[in-house]
Amino acid sequence: MIKDITIGQFFPGNSIIHRLDPRMKLVLTFIYIIAIFLCKNFLAMGTMLLFLILTVLLSKISLKLIAKSIKPVFIIVLITSVLQIVYNNKGITLLELGRLHITTGGIFTAVFTTVRIVALVVASSLLTYTTSPTLLTDAIERLFSPLKIVKINVHSIAMMMTIALRFIPTLIDEVDKIMSAQKSRGADLESGNIIQRGKALVPVFVPLFINSFSRAYELAFAMECRCYKGGEGRTRLKEMKLAARDYIALFAILACCGVIILSNRLITAPEQYSNILDSFLRFVL
Amino acid sequence: MAIIQTENLSYVYSEGTPFRKTAIDNINISIEEGEFVGIIGHTGSGKSTLVQHLNGLLKPTSGRVLFNGQDINSSKEFTRTVRFSVGLCFQYPEYQLFESTVYRDIAFGPKNMGLSEKEIEEHVLKAADFVGLKKEMLNKSPFDLSGGEKRRVAIAGVIAMEPKVLILDEPTAGLDPQGRDTISDMIDNYRISTGSTVIVVSHSMEDVAKNASKVLVMNRGKVEFFTGVKEVFSNYERLVEIGLNVPQITGIFIDLKSRGYDVRTDIYTVAEAKKELVRLFRERGALK
Repeated sequence: MIKDITIGQFFPGNSIIHRLDPRMKLVLTFIYIIAIFLCKNFLAMGTMLLFLILTVLLSKISLKLIAKSIKPVFIIVLITSVLQIVYNNKGITLLELGRLHITTGGIFTAVFTTVRIVALVVASSLLTYTTSPTLLTDAIERLFSPLKIVKINVHSIAMMMTIALRFIPTLIDEVDKIMSAQKSRGADLESGNIIQRGKALVPVFVPLFINSFSRAYELAFAMECRCYKGGEGRTRLKEMKLAARDYIALFAILACCGVIILSNRLITAPEQYSNILDSFLRFVL
Repeated sequence: MAIIQTENLSYVYSEGTPFRKTAIDNINISIEEGEFVGIIGHTGSGKSTLVQHLNGLLKPTSGRVLFNGQDINSSKEFTRTVRFSVGLCFQYPEYQLFESTVYRDIAFGPKNMGLSEKEIEEHVLKAADFVGLKKEMLNKSPFDLSGGEKRRVAIAGVIAMEPKVLILDEPTAGLDPQGRDTISDMIDNYRISTGSTVIVVSHSMEDVAKNASKVLVMNRGKVEFFTGVKEVFSNYERLVEIGLNVPQITGIFIDLKSRGYDVRTDIYTVAEAKKELVRLFRERGALK
């Protein structure tokens, strides 16, 4: 049951997207997400979508998994689109039902927000699907290492993140196990109201916390036994190095951004389309 | 009629993802009342998955599990009642203790059964007695006990429901030799004095040989053997092939036999071994 969660999961593979430098992937995802919110016309949005589809295909991650990642935001998408359609009254009215006006402007914005949210979720899941958590935190540590100047201990933060990520599957397994054990003793975790259910979880969370604390102590001992004393002077087993493919990816993203900026200047935004459409319809009628 | 029976039982983990894995495949077994069944198998052979089906924790991908002839997944209520009759004690059960006192932890199962305070007390005291917990221990916090004691408290928590079928997954794992003996004797006592069926998953061939009346050998999710102890351990070559072994003492006699000594090879305990060796020495005139 709990094991079906895919957020933040990593699917090992050997595609070109898997092999990209994690630092570059992180930066590119960041740029991509910002770029998506700058798109103001269909050409720009189309370019960004095409880029995303291409990346998904290159990553060789099954489309089923991509669809699974969108599932949790489905309701948000639905609600925002409905709100946009109902409350946005720009452009020409296509349908009038009492006080409800469905306008071209509303539909344009609904489509745009939907595409933006979906692209955002797919892009960020693609990052975690194709990058192992260890590489990802490693990348974060390196990208933020300049913060050392302002006395922020980036290494410790990254180490904490690595450990936290590392133990998520362990904890999920453990919750599963403890729940099974308590169910075997007749614990009823699935029925009753919220208060009853909350109470029923005490037998699950007490052992979980106790085990987690003892595990934390053990881990600390084990790290000290291996002479871990923070990031100062630590060398790495795998040095990250940017390869040609990383620069190509960067170039591709920058080209897409170029398209967005140019098209935003040259092509009118959808809201203005409707104005043109509006005056066109007026002219014809 | 068999108390527990499986019909074409199969279970697949993570169906529909790249991590799909068939854990158990078409299992047909039937276990009679009062039997002591040992389940052995290599790590990942599906032992734990199988026992979690027997009290309805896992729902079969296909096939059925019958308790006294009735499908245990036929309704939610029935599954829950079955859990009181088929007590399952997990591997390292001491990690599931949660109450403030030993007494209250053991009482968790009986309380969920909806028994009265008086009945609960009876059940708890009886269970504590079975596992050899002294009365003064019942008011301690379970977290102040030693590892072996915690294990016994956890097992008492399952026994306190007085299940007709008691299933234990590796009950002696990680204990010292004395703790292992205590626990395996305790389990056998429970079976003899209550007439319950006992199923024990174990890595230790010695434990299985000592107590079990039948042995279920699992290999890659399938049943390899399900017969008496002697029949199973006589298949020495096959057991080694699937990464298992016979009890060490049996190994010695198989070795002696292959070196030309005329000994039996169906020896599973040290006591039997002693008898057989004495007989051999006598025959050769080394002993009078």
